[in-house]
Amino acid sequence: MAGMMTVAGVDLEVEERGVGRPLLFLHAGEGLGVERPWLDRLAARFRVIAPSHPGFGRSALPDWIGTTDDLAYLYLDLVAKLGLKDAVLVGASFGGWIAAEMAVRNTAAFSKVVLAAPLGIKVGPRDVRDIADMHSMTREAYLDLAWADPSKGHLDLTGYSDADLQALVRGREALTLYGWKPYMHNPRLKPWLHRIDKPTLLLWGNRDRIVTPAYGEAWVREIPGARIEVIPQCGHYPAWEQPDAFAAKIAAFAA
Amino acid sequence: MRVWYFSEMAYHPAWDEGLKRGSLRVVLPNSEVDPHVAHKLLNRYFDEFAACDEAGIDIMVNEHHSTATCMTVSVPMALSIIARETKTSRLLSLGNPIANRPDPVRVAEEMAWLDVLSGGRLEMGLVKGAPYEIHPANTNPARLMRRYWEAHDLIIKAMSTTTGPFNWEGEYFQYRNVNIWPRPLQQPTPPVWMTGLSVESGIMAAEKGHVIGTLLSGSVAGPMFDAYRKRAKELGRTAGPDRFAYAACVGVGATRAEGLRRADLIADYVRTAPVVAEPFTNPPGYNSVNANVGMLKGGGKGFVRDRNGNPVEHRTATVQQFMDADTVFAGTPDDVYDQIKSLNDRVGGFGHLLFFGQGGHLDHKDTLENIRLFGKEVMPRLRELNPEPTARRTAAE
Repeated sequence: MAGMMTVAGVDLEVEERGVGRPLLFLHAGEGLGVERPWLDRLAARFRVIAPSHPGFGRSALPDWIGTTDDLAYLYLDLVAKLGLKDAVLVGASFGGWIAAEMAVRNTAAFSKVVLAAPLGIKVGPRDVRDIADMHSMTREAYLDLAWADPSKGHLDLTGYSDADLQALVRGREALTLYGWKPYMHNPRLKPWLHRIDKPTLLLWGNRDRIVTPAYGEAWVREIPGARIEVIPQCGHYPAWEQPDAFAAKIAAFAA
Repeated sequence: MRVWYFSEMAYHPAWDEGLKRGSLRVVLPNSEVDPHVAHKLLNRYFDEFAACDEAGIDIMVNEHHSTATCMTVSVPMALSIIARETKTSRLLSLGNPIANRPDPVRVAEEMAWLDVLSGGRLEMGLVKGAPYEIHPANTNPARLMRRYWEAHDLIIKAMSTTTGPFNWEGEYFQYRNVNIWPRPLQQPTPPVWMTGLSVESGIMAAEKGHVIGTLLSGSVAGPMFDAYRKRAKELGRTAGPDRFAYAACVGVGATRAEGLRRADLIADYVRTAPVVAEPFTNPPGYNSVNANVGMLKGGGKGFVRDRNGNPVEHRTATVQQFMDADTVFAGTPDDVYDQIKSLNDRVGGFGHLLFFGQGGHLDHKDTLENIRLFGKEVMPRLRELNPEPTARRTAAE
């Protein structure tokens, strides 16, 4: 069920489902997608806590919030407010970037970290993209890079209310605010990834061409003890495209 | 009415290739520019600007980036040359895209310097810039107007402060020692202009008392000017025609056929310039949430509107269709005057016509004749329409 919570003065929409070990799920730039199956798959094993990032869903975006640093501190405050312990931290794509920003600061509430195709670091030469420029291509070209089966990523806006459309537009603007420049990464993040001191799993779709599995290998090199698992027939959004495999791998890793 | 001739200094030899590739901007590779051809065109275009001085017409320059539609990459560079080649024309920068500029103090310095160089002939547009300018500048489209207003306030303060260095610790810009030399000749600042397409822009400009300019659609201009006047009145001010500017393609000839022919060639600019690859047309945050919702619902396409507010198919519109939308004024001097007067009366009066008189395909001889004939036959009558107020308002009033 979704409720509103005030954290650090920010009104956040937080979806909570299931019982058991807490799992904080940080959604991708496409939004939380409460109607999609991944939250239920995770909620079968965990108490899932899934905030909509400021500017997404019904979450407010105050003037003073504007970077992934802000989001990291905000969610560390959320974790403290909920008193989470021994929790699993899961972030997907843009949410994986936020999760990494949290984990380099403080992992005390977490026992495991799962990053599913995270954005957020610069790996290659300065004139080579690590992260596909999703904002310089058509929707069709983007779906082709982001999905093993692009038809699954199609958004059918018929039946969207004005409020739904406003939420979609607000979310797109918020992602831009956080990730436009430098494009979807923080140059200061990679040097601190060694601070992630909890077991970390990188999950990657074999057909992800937004950030390729090779980019995932770079994360593995930076985070002590991390490993990567590649999911077949899967693009940039494992939670969305392969929800069963996504949930099963997280459950196995957290066990 | 004042009239400001402008030309985007188009590189039209690449237009066909741009149309074929579906974008004249952002992604069209610069292998499509022959720098030797560009050299000749740029120098020709400056000769055309210089002719305005003799014709009694003022001059406007704008800038765009990564595009075959406009080779002007820097308003201050272009206006510096024009300032030296002219004696009396006022010089309108419309303008500096200040939300895309990393260094507003540099903008203030350049504008003050130009004002001094030109003997106080500068008018200073501080503009948001078009959506497809976001990618070439790589500025964040989210909160663009917040950055715009901070840059605006800093530029005005830098230009009008005469008491020594001040510091600026803002959200987007930080300086420890702002103290520009030289300061502008027009004190406290040259007249300030903005541009827009919406009622909201009209309201924002009214709150500052700036001149607001819009382009190519009378049905867009009317509501924006109305909103400005209404807001000014609420603030206890009167907004005369000198607060409003309108840009249109203008073709004038000794005969109606000649004027229409010239206008048709200039209008090729409107037929091509909006052709931009889709991802660059609406970066998230550039337009308001409500405007974007409208677009997702299938509306809001096309900024050239006819008198009923319906989109005009800019790729294929005829001169007559453009004339019906007030995008083009064309014909004999009498025709052109009547068309301008008609729009003026419909929108409650505007004091500045931005005379788009070179759209790429119009050759040098035609461009010069268009300027000269306009200056001789239309300009004197427009001066009598909405005569300029004797005291020019500036930003700090």
